Amino acid sequence: MTHSMAQFMRRCPFRLRPRVLAAALGGALAIAGSALAADPDLPGFIHDGTLTVCTNPTLPPMTFVNGTDVNAVDGIDMDIAHRLAEYWHVPMVVTTMDFTGLFPSLAAQRCSMVASGIIKLPDREKNFDAVSYQDTALVVVARAGTPPLSSMTDLSGKTVAVQSGTSYSARLAKENEALAQAGRAPIIIQQYPTEDQVVQQVLIGRVFAFASQDVELYYRQEQLHGKVNVILVPPYPEYRHFALYIRKNAHDRELLEQAIATMGQNGQMAAIQKKWAISPDAAKALAHTPPAPMFRWDTFFSALTSTAFMRGAFITLAVAVLSHFTAIMISIPMALALNGRDSLLKMVLKGYVSVFRGAPTLLQLLFIWNALPQFLPVFREAWFTPFLATWLSLSINESAYQVEINRAALGAVDKGQELAGDALAMSRRQVYRHVIFPQALRIALPPTINEFISLLKTTSLASVISLQELLAVTQIQVARTFEFTEYYAAALVYYLGMVFFFLFLQKRVERRFAWADRHKATANES
Amino acid sequence: MNPDPKSMPDPSAMISVRNLSKLYKDFIALDRISFDVQRGEKIVVLGPSGSGKSTLIRCFNRIEPHDSGILSIDGQVINAQSDLTQLRATVGLVFQNYNLFPHLSVLDNCTLAPRLVKKTPRAEAEAMAMRFLKQVNIAEQANKYPIQLSGGQQQRVAIARALCMQPEVMLFDEPTAALDPEAISGVVAIMNDLAQQGITTLCVTHEMGFARHIADRIIFMDKGRILEITPPAEFFTNPKTQRARDFLDQMISY
Repeated sequence: MTHSMAQFMRRCPFRLRPRVLAAALGGALAIAGSALAADPDLPGFIHDGTLTVCTNPTLPPMTFVNGTDVNAVDGIDMDIAHRLAEYWHVPMVVTTMDFTGLFPSLAAQRCSMVASGIIKLPDREKNFDAVSYQDTALVVVARAGTPPLSSMTDLSGKTVAVQSGTSYSARLAKENEALAQAGRAPIIIQQYPTEDQVVQQVLIGRVFAFASQDVELYYRQEQLHGKVNVILVPPYPEYRHFALYIRKNAHDRELLEQAIATMGQNGQMAAIQKKWAISPDAAKALAHTPPAPMFRWDTFFSALTSTAFMRGAFITLAVAVLSHFTAIMISIPMALALNGRDSLLKMVLKGYVSVFRGAPTLLQLLFIWNALPQFLPVFREAWFTPFLATWLSLSINESAYQVEINRAALGAVDKGQELAGDALAMSRRQVYRHVIFPQALRIALPPTINEFISLLKTTSLASVISLQELLAVTQIQVARTFEFTEYYAAALVYYLGMVFFFLFLQKRVERRFAWADRHKATANES
Repeated sequence: MNPDPKSMPDPSAMISVRNLSKLYKDFIALDRISFDVQRGEKIVVLGPSGSGKSTLIRCFNRIEPHDSGILSIDGQVINAQSDLTQLRATVGLVFQNYNLFPHLSVLDNCTLAPRLVKKTPRAEAEAMAMRFLKQVNIAEQANKYPIQLSGGQQQRVAIARALCMQPEVMLFDEPTAALDPEAISGVVAIMNDLAQQGITTLCVTHEMGFARHIADRIIFMDKGRILEITPPAEFFTNPKTQRARDFLDQMISY
């Protein structure tokens, strides 16, 4: 589970910079009251009278951003942290960070505790103390109406979807070994990059079942509209408890255990479970959820008019326009050099074109975002945003395509044009600027617009490096609501709208090239 | 009549060449050419295709740089260090395929180079262009694009365009070769007109009427060499070389 979360978080489209969220807890009253009723036995991890909680808010319902404000961390873990702070009469501060930074930060005493939906694992407990606060279980989930299974071996020959790279797939692989020994067909494992896509495969009936944690499923029940049910809870000893982690200290652990136990007794824990619909009753509630309509027009229209979608579309458009503009600027001198005499430069440029046309765009994006900082630490710094990285890689990538268009266009201008310019005593620069480029532009324009339209859609790849462009925004909304069709349709409308606008623009611009068509030229005259 | 190849170029001649040679890899395009063209002279260069006629006249504005020998235009020796802008403003060239700028109107075709190269103000450049367009009988088409004009009209625009740079020498590289007979007469009439105005003219052509009636001298070339330089009356009635006789026979039978 912890592994799966690390994967999930790395892929998560949100990219939250470590930021501190102060939460004034209990108000002035609670703090004033605490002066009198102060419990002298405060745990050692409360530094400077503040409970600092580190979390990676990407795992609903434990810890996640519930809404459009990425600064507002919500979830079971946050509620528990609030109650703990109240219990000790101290203010609480939330620090969000990458999943991989959580334990190092805890070790470096930057946090009092880590509360981030992390499974209690013996391996972790070698270095940190863990106090469990919520039971959980791995569940195998199928479409509503699927009869329950009695054991994992019943999945033999069936297809199961899991989030790629998670510990679930390793666990299923173990089952497959057992199945192979028994001479039975293995479970067919399909891996998808995000949890919502895993769920989707079951919803549309492509795969038989998926593996998940029960609390997450309960939380999603409302979104899933009773379309799934749990068919098996395998008796795995792991995946049993969510735990809060603190630095190793037996006394502190005891105090934290006491606090959690108190919350269990005074009903606070039950209230939190009820709030997040993870009580044991949750499974029953599922059966009574009315089925959702095929297409929710209100969701579609609110997506269409949401600022999130508009912002996503703007980022898509901005990064596409900037990248293509840069690519054109790079590719013009490149095309001139490539059309010129053989030289070392020409050989280098040929290599450049081959490499960047040959490598997949997605790989180039990942390389620039993830591998480049290994060689040049300057790209690790905060100024190198996903937007800049996308701009950089798409500019380079697109220039390799654009240079071929430019080359062909320049080559298609009649050689006599250059001769005529020369014969009229025009300089090299004047010949290119006033004679060759205007004619090459007309030839290059239709394929260039084609390239741009293609590029506009290629920007959707940048969601993998956490750029909040249109498709990333769509996927976040889908992950939150499971209303695939509505959000996909809204995204489609935006993409088509942008493409049609540029096709319209192309028609307008082409009218300016009437000189190339006898009939148009004559028509324009009248 | 032929200058001594060893002599220095004649500084008073408009064009003076001595031992001019040009190679394309192994192929000798021009082989030790020597002759003078006086100011106001009209020369027609004849010869079978591939004889080097076009290459020769294109050397005069250094569209084709020569490899060896001496070329002098208006008393200036032309080499790699020469000011090409000045040379090309002095020597105008009209192409077989017109090479008008398709993206510019007829008027803009004529004013582009004067405005860019000579920094002539637009109004002045346009007034001059209209004057030359009138001279080539095409002023009414000034605002059309080349694609809307016939071949003959385009070639007349190309002549006007070259004249707008106010050159002292006009080179014509087979100006009528791409035209139908009707269009040819219009272009030849313009060339006659120009010749009468006294501009130094070198014309590569197969248009025998122009060669016979207008040219002061005929240069006959074959295989990169000049075989004859004679007045047209003599050339057409009594060619000195067998090669020229064969050439003329072919022209007539054709």
